[in-house]
Amino acid sequence: MLLKRTIKEDLIKLFFFILAAVSIFIVFFVIYFLFSEALPAFQEYGFSIFEAEWSVPREVYKIGAALFGTAIVTIGAMIIAIPLGLVVAIFLSEIAPFHVRTVLKPVIELLAGIPSIVYGFLGATILVQYLQPTFDLLKGISLFAGSLILGIMALPIIISISDDALKAVPRDLKEASLALGATKWETIKKITFPTAISGVSAAIIMGMGRAIGETMAVSLVVGNIMQIPVPPFDIFESGSTLTSIIALEMGEATGIQTYSLFACGVILFIIVGTMSVVSNILKERVEKKYKGG
Amino acid sequence: MEWSIVKNQLVSFLEQMMEKEKYTSKNVLATITILYSLLLISIGFISTVLNVYIGDELLRILLLVMSLLLLVQCIVSFLKSKIRIRLVSMIIFTILLLLSSYYLPTLPPSYDLRSYEMSAALLKFLIVSLFLIIIGILSVNYSFKFLYDFGRKSKQYAAYFILFLSVILVLYPLFIIVSTIIMNGAPGITWDFLTEDVSRHGAEGGIVKNLIGTISLIIGVAAFSLPLGIGAAVYLTEYAKGGIIVRIIRIAVDILQGIPSIVFGLFAYALLVSIFGFCLLNGILVLTFLTLPIIIRTSEEAILSVPKSIREGSYALGASKWQTIKRIVLPPALPGIITGGVLGLGRAAGETAPILFLGAVFIGAPAVPDLFAPFQALPYHLLQLIYYIGAYEVEQNAWATAFLLLSIVLGLNAIAIILREKFRVEF
Repeated sequence: MLLKRTIKEDLIKLFFFILAAVSIFIVFFVIYFLFSEALPAFQEYGFSIFEAEWSVPREVYKIGAALFGTAIVTIGAMIIAIPLGLVVAIFLSEIAPFHVRTVLKPVIELLAGIPSIVYGFLGATILVQYLQPTFDLLKGISLFAGSLILGIMALPIIISISDDALKAVPRDLKEASLALGATKWETIKKITFPTAISGVSAAIIMGMGRAIGETMAVSLVVGNIMQIPVPPFDIFESGSTLTSIIALEMGEATGIQTYSLFACGVILFIIVGTMSVVSNILKERVEKKYKGG
Repeated sequence: MEWSIVKNQLVSFLEQMMEKEKYTSKNVLATITILYSLLLISIGFISTVLNVYIGDELLRILLLVMSLLLLVQCIVSFLKSKIRIRLVSMIIFTILLLLSSYYLPTLPPSYDLRSYEMSAALLKFLIVSLFLIIIGILSVNYSFKFLYDFGRKSKQYAAYFILFLSVILVLYPLFIIVSTIIMNGAPGITWDFLTEDVSRHGAEGGIVKNLIGTISLIIGVAAFSLPLGIGAAVYLTEYAKGGIIVRIIRIAVDILQGIPSIVFGLFAYALLVSIFGFCLLNGILVLTFLTLPIIIRTSEEAILSVPKSIREGSYALGASKWQTIKRIVLPPALPGIITGGVLGLGRAAGETAPILFLGAVFIGAPAVPDLFAPFQALPYHLLQLIYYIGAYEVEQNAWATAFLLLSIVLGLNAIAIILREKFRVEF
């Protein structure tokens, strides 16, 4: 009877272990198929795959321009989202009255769930039409529009995670500072924020990862031209990102073009996957720090 | 918020206003300046949004009044203050403002950046509105300094003011997004729209098959990802005792969470399509991979929030591990788990990028969802309609589709948040 019960328990444990191990298998399969499909492109071009030359008629598919576009768009998005996101997180966690917080926090979480295609739709209809006369452009479709829309999309994530990090700062630290005569703002600036900095960086990395991996919204507003703008800082030109080029060309791609698109996927996977792991490690470290002490 | 609280706050606010010492000339001056700066900021903001220039004369008057107000503040604090050196920056700012009130309206209508090979131009209205916003913020800063005698408290209020403005700035685009979708999309939701199939490139007809497709995706994803995710969470929290394999599982979940959705699309294109062909099952599987990490994480949190003591109570009564998990641990953790599940499903319902190349079609899916046939889904439909805008008259249907999609996704999210707040179990 007892033996039977232990066997049953062991079987149940094994069952749950298999369910947990499914994640490993998925990651393994993703890595295997991405890399094996991308390998021919790397073999064909070697390191010159990072040059900017993408031409369907000449059958040259090097992904430098998309990499550049992703970098520019992400930097632009972060310039918008980091300061605003942190400031709002500080407001939410430290200053907002209880009533305001209870309304604002779920609203911001809700907004994190808006599908990217909806952002893309509004970007392609409203934002682009607004930017065209505002900056006297030929057409509003540009890397700048991509930055703006990604900045807005990254905001809820940055706000929500940094708010959690700021909230996790122990009360006694803040109260000690206030007791020494510091104003509330000085406490936030010199105590709360520096203490929460690793959680806040986790939030920023997370937001950045989302911005880099975001597809639909960007592909609808950046113009999808595989080029590096002529002065490279000209963000009002059309461009392309790693994600948008995949979304646009995968459907009709053949031969080496497919492999190059998979190479884009490999690079995305490496960048964003690393960011996700790093940010989760940072977050766990914060949790341990305050649970232990 | 209850009415009585609002009323009490209002009454106390009025009482504070009526107090005599609130009406010192200093307070009144600072308050007027702050309100005036707010006016400047809102004018700057509105003219940026509406792409209008307020006109030379109005601009000149606005700036002149602002600098006069600041000048009065400078003089008052110069006469009263003991540490006059702190006033220097304020005086310089006031002088610059006076100068700008003369020079700013004389700017040319546009600075062409094309001479620097940029393909844009800086128009006068944009320069002026940004200038107004910055001037407004700085003036508020100086007014607080003036009000609190250049002390440390003034910095706090200036910082709070900037925080408050940023909150409004963040909420503004989010508000615009939701309100435009509702205003443009809600009128398009008619009975015909909900019950007919796509016709004439989406310019006519409705979205019934897309709605069915999205719902069957949601159900399919739930069927796969909930058992998988909850099971994994149970293993990680209840059985795992650390060690290398658990470490690997956690890293795998982290990576899975980080993989961009388009990369999942690529992966499915490389693997699943070659096995199953273009079909609904691919979509369900890919979206399952996408939601799995969310469900694992939230379920783990929910299970961990059940305290150790009640588990030990169960063991002490002779229950086995599985009995404890089934009867003691999972029931109180269930609301948290469901919340995570619904959040994950909400994300899956709105995703477009992963289903691009693996069986989503614009038209021609079977009326009854079939696992091994192509499918129509709302997000994919919306994408195609966006491509068709300009070529066909699809704009009305595009707005309605966006509205429907947004309400499904936000509805699921709202359900999750409400569940979380309502069934929050405190031990």
